[in-house]
Amino acid sequence: MNMRKSANLVLLLVAAVFCYGLQISKPHYGELIGPIPARGKLGDTVVGRAFEVHAEKVEFARKLTVDQFGQQRVLTTGGVWAVVTVEIAARSESTTIGVASWRGPTGLTYDQTERLSFMNGLLPVAIDPGLPRKARLIFEVRPDEASDATLLVSEKLVAALDSQAEIALGPVAVAADGLPAGTVDMLDMAQPL
Amino acid sequence: MTAEALDQENRAGERKWRRRSLWSLILLVPLALAVESYDSVKALVGNNDLFPRRVVWGESAQFGGSDWKLTDLRGAFGMSNLPPDSVPVLADFQVKVGNPDLQKLWLGCKIMLIDKDGRRWSPTSIISLKTPDNVGNCISAIFSGAKSGDTVNLRETFLVPKEATKSIRPAVSVASERPHFLLFHLEKD
Repeated sequence: MNMRKSANLVLLLVAAVFCYGLQISKPHYGELIGPIPARGKLGDTVVGRAFEVHAEKVEFARKLTVDQFGQQRVLTTGGVWAVVTVEIAARSESTTIGVASWRGPTGLTYDQTERLSFMNGLLPVAIDPGLPRKARLIFEVRPDEASDATLLVSEKLVAALDSQAEIALGPVAVAADGLPAGTVDMLDMAQPL
Repeated sequence: MTAEALDQENRAGERKWRRRSLWSLILLVPLALAVESYDSVKALVGNNDLFPRRVVWGESAQFGGSDWKLTDLRGAFGMSNLPPDSVPVLADFQVKVGNPDLQKLWLGCKIMLIDKDGRRWSPTSIISLKTPDNVGNCISAIFSGAKSGDTVNLRETFLVPKEATKSIRPAVSVASERPHFLLFHLEKD
């Protein structure tokens, strides 16, 4: 009788451990219906369902100069400006790329800046099949979020069950002043892409 | 009848019904799934342009309560400031309004170009060419107050890669006719 009792106890324990395993390994609802990642790195062409994106280069700057109604304006920042030049094209149907964000190594995520909303060539951009188009994605980030960041690009804010390009931008060395190595003082956004 | 015999009969009847219930699940489970997903499937089909209705060059077709006719499809060459290897394409339609409730029947109106590989181009905003006063587009026509019997002229401008210009065909779709859409053939087809 004692034998049987302990067997039952073991069985109960095994069942509890099994259920706990199921509980912690189960994907979250948000993950199940979340965006579907299309991964790549700087220089790759990352192909999603409706669009493909190719990140050409990343530049860092302390200040940006922009043209606003024929006047030059200088935008400063408490962090650092990160400017990613990308080429995007639609695959089978004309569409719009509306959202880009910069995810730092610690998971802090920065949306595209809205301080340049009057500038041309920012998101959202309309793209057509067979006609790749260049765009600048501009972020204002903390200097310690510059290295090993991931660029996220999707059509809509809620990219549920649709592709989201995740582009690994790679390591960036830190200069003596704490900013990413190669940070320039000024980047001119009026330069053609 | 003894109580024992009655009991046995009841048990046999129970077994029979249990088996019937199990078998009916084979029918009921798929049926329940179908009923549950009916609205989703309907919405999915109603949001997509799936089945082309082909229209021969020079002829008009009844669509969304009006008669649609493709009058011209041509490239606008020689423009500067365009992306490399791209051509602006103009599609002109003449529509004889039948049912004037355009705000309902033409809702979600979409004019597009489709090439032989099934790629679809929507009207572009990169270039805007001057159009005559009596020419509008699909959306402006909805609010133009056109009456039954009126003819409205529509034009949409597209930007298409050069390699696709040979095989593109214009297509029209409105929410009231989806999943069907009109696919216009050209003179050379």
